[in-house]
Amino acid sequence: MKKNKSLLLSGPYVLWMLVFTLIPLGVVGYYALTDPSTGVFTWGNLRDLSLFLPTLGSSVWYSLVSALICLVLGYPVAYYIAHRPPVTQKILYMLVMLPMCMSFLLRTLAWVGLLESNGIINQFLNLLGIPSLELIGTPGAVILGMVYNYLPYMVLPLYAIIVKIDNRLIEAAEDLGCTPVQVFSKVVLPLSMPGILSGITMVFVPAVSTFYISQKLGGTDTMLIGDVIERQFKSAGNPNLGAALSLVLMLLVFICTGIMNRFGSDEEGGVVV
Amino acid sequence: MKRTNRIFTILIFIFLYIPMAVLILGSFNTGKNLALFEGFTFNQYKELFRDKDLLGLLGNSLLIAILSTATATAFGTFAAVGIHSLKPKMRKAVMTLTNIPMTNPDIVTGISLSLLFVFIGSGMLGQKQSLNFWTLLIAHITFNLPYVILNVMPKLQQMDPALQDAAMDLGCTPLRSFFKVTIHEIMPGVISGAIMAFTMSLDDFVISYFVTGTEFVTLPVKIYSFTKKPIHPKIYAMFTLLFLLIFVLMVAMNLLQLRGDKRRTQKQAKPPSRGMRTFQRVAAIACVAVLLIGSFALIATTRQDKITLNVMNWGQNIADGSDDTLDIIAAFEEAYPNIDVNYAEYASNEELYSKLSTGGLVVDVIIPSDYMIARMISEDMLLPLNFDNIPNYQNVIDTYKDQAYDPENKYSVPYTWGTVGIIYNAKYVDEADVTGWDLLWNEKYKGQILMFDNSRDAFGIAQYMLGYDVNTTDKAELQACAQALAKQRPLVQQYVMDQVYAKMEEENAWIAPYYAGDAMMMMENNENLRFYLPENETFNLFIDAMCIPSCAQEKEAAEKFINFMCDPEISGANMDYICYGSPIEGATEHMEEYLAESEVIYPPEEILERGQSYGFLPEDITRYVENLFLGIRVGKTAEEEEVQSSGSALPVVLTLAGLAAAGVFLCLPKRKRK
Repeated sequence: MKKNKSLLLSGPYVLWMLVFTLIPLGVVGYYALTDPSTGVFTWGNLRDLSLFLPTLGSSVWYSLVSALICLVLGYPVAYYIAHRPPVTQKILYMLVMLPMCMSFLLRTLAWVGLLESNGIINQFLNLLGIPSLELIGTPGAVILGMVYNYLPYMVLPLYAIIVKIDNRLIEAAEDLGCTPVQVFSKVVLPLSMPGILSGITMVFVPAVSTFYISQKLGGTDTMLIGDVIERQFKSAGNPNLGAALSLVLMLLVFICTGIMNRFGSDEEGGVVV
Repeated sequence: MKRTNRIFTILIFIFLYIPMAVLILGSFNTGKNLALFEGFTFNQYKELFRDKDLLGLLGNSLLIAILSTATATAFGTFAAVGIHSLKPKMRKAVMTLTNIPMTNPDIVTGISLSLLFVFIGSGMLGQKQSLNFWTLLIAHITFNLPYVILNVMPKLQQMDPALQDAAMDLGCTPLRSFFKVTIHEIMPGVISGAIMAFTMSLDDFVISYFVTGTEFVTLPVKIYSFTKKPIHPKIYAMFTLLFLLIFVLMVAMNLLQLRGDKRRTQKQAKPPSRGMRTFQRVAAIACVAVLLIGSFALIATTRQDKITLNVMNWGQNIADGSDDTLDIIAAFEEAYPNIDVNYAEYASNEELYSKLSTGGLVVDVIIPSDYMIARMISEDMLLPLNFDNIPNYQNVIDTYKDQAYDPENKYSVPYTWGTVGIIYNAKYVDEADVTGWDLLWNEKYKGQILMFDNSRDAFGIAQYMLGYDVNTTDKAELQACAQALAKQRPLVQQYVMDQVYAKMEEENAWIAPYYAGDAMMMMENNENLRFYLPENETFNLFIDAMCIPSCAQEKEAAEKFINFMCDPEISGANMDYICYGSPIEGATEHMEEYLAESEVIYPPEEILERGQSYGFLPEDITRYVENLFLGIRVGKTAEEEEVQSSGSALPVVLTLAGLAAAGVFLCLPKRKRK
């Protein structure tokens, strides 16, 4: 009876997820292995992939750098929030989450207004008598865009972990003669490792596949793999090559989460933001 | 230590909120430029509430968010209960499945779903419009479900199973015990899951971008197409209002939660007061009412007697009523009250081709350029027109009839014609340098040059400069062009299409090749801009013509639309806004004088003689050029690429297989050491 019930309740869900997540991935594989004009089987799309190795490399590089910057910026913030009184915590948590609910397209566009050669930052610099800087169109601008957009994805899981660290552990370490640096490196940091790992994944995955940030903030040299994929579907008219590229992207993320699983705890469900 | 941490946190919050402050400030700006505050005004808000289309889009987004959240919450909660009572092994497998959309990049989820819908809808069922409201809804439910499950599961695990047993002992059926006991225990999880799903769904751009068709578009997707052009500040006004709304909602949510927490800490758990109960009931009823009204509104819109005519045109390529021009679409709808025009845009011929060839759309009228028409005719993508329904065709000037792209004039009716030249900013560019196409290769202006982001126009410029035929199929010549473009790449600030407007008007770039009419529009907004056609070289002379694609559903209405556009008065009024040459006899009489006499729009005969049109290219050459251009875009030189495309696929396949194996190995559960 009980077994029937659980199957009855979860069955439709499993079916839905199979049809709308697993099977579509199979369709991507099918497109990746067929020719765009004739529809017959081909290795051609996969062969063309080697053309995009540098693009893939720079995408991975940019997103890793932004994930690390997010970690460095996000950790102190998460730590600070976690050590406030509960009400302040709630307010600050909300303030971190709020930008995530607003259109990321428009927020990125605001950065264009800030960074442009006649933009707000350069106007400000000129006012101080400093000559204009070349800000937009550089890899730095793309990384800035990624850090800005995905910083909350780092802060929230970090906060969720740090807030759970038992204060008595820290006190015990202090009692046993640890310096503040030692307390941090021996107690707090190891305990916040799951948060760090999930934060890095949560920043890395969207950053490596983004296609808007680099279009707006990047120059000719900062085309990312997401841009190439979008282009294949939306303007170059070659969805098959786009599917092959998505396959690679999927694999990359698969490995990335695999590594995180390896080193992280195997708590069921993980941390959800 | 603590103080530095506090200052640091404050700085980070400033970093997070500065761009939003810029947008909010932009909503009170009289000018269009975010970086230049010209004066304070509330006009953008007035404009916003006058714009029914924009509010309609917001309505669409809300409808999708509400429906998908409601479905996913109900569906997900029951599923979570089911999953919870599965055996651990099964449970783990199902949770892995749940995690797929969470860990997969959005772009992959979007692409995979759109390919599935097109594959099933267009490929297997033969549907014309396989990307529609329902596919969008399915996609949103699919990515919302995991949020609900992952929020409800922990609550189920925390729940004491004895509670349910007790309820059953007291005579409850399993179903009754669920509604009497379980649901109350897991409610916080359900609510936070629903809220998360709602915000994700409301703000989702990437997945929606790939699974929407033309008939039902959400706000973020439309904003994406807006942000390619100089965006109207009323969008910032909308942003500001949404910001306030979400802010208030979040504060309210937090206050409620705090109150709940307080009550829980008080030992005596008070039952909800009577007022609270009524409030809850009213809230529930209101939710249901909103849902029902939403669904009815949807049914009402789909059951209209009106015909919906889907028109797809270039960006900024029809008079829309701004700047005292005629609103052509409104005028057409007035003339034909039973037709409702659904208007969408594309930025390049290639984008239009991609949209149509990927399938899943219904489009009734398109306005591609010459060479694309030739390509579409050769691929059977256009329907022959019934000229009995287009009597105004007689108004078309003979020069624009029977063109090479459509020799028998069966498929197309000219809409505009124009030239491709260079637009530059006289404030920064030395007049002495302005001679020919080589201005785009001038080292002096490194980083200030924009270039076409479509292969045909980019290669066209290289071909004109090197003196090749624009319709060449000689691969060696195309290679030489690719090399020239690769040499230009370090000087180029960005490859653009519609973005050229903002870049040039705001003087963030100085030189760009573009279409004459668009150049004219930019010149109206910035007096330093000039346009010229190279003195001794050839340049592109193009015709954009109206066609009916084979995916059309309302052919007769489409022909009415085409006929309407051939009216001299309408065409003239249209040209007042889009600033191109009209192929319609007598249209110039209805245009503003300075436009009708402008040499940018109507260059003198002796210059026009140097114009050349793009013609048809065979498919393998089109693909070859497209790949060369992609190589330039990602920074590979032409020679390297040639070697690669003749290489074997084996290394790539092996690498991929190796990576996959590594991934599987890494994902295997860790063996516990004893």
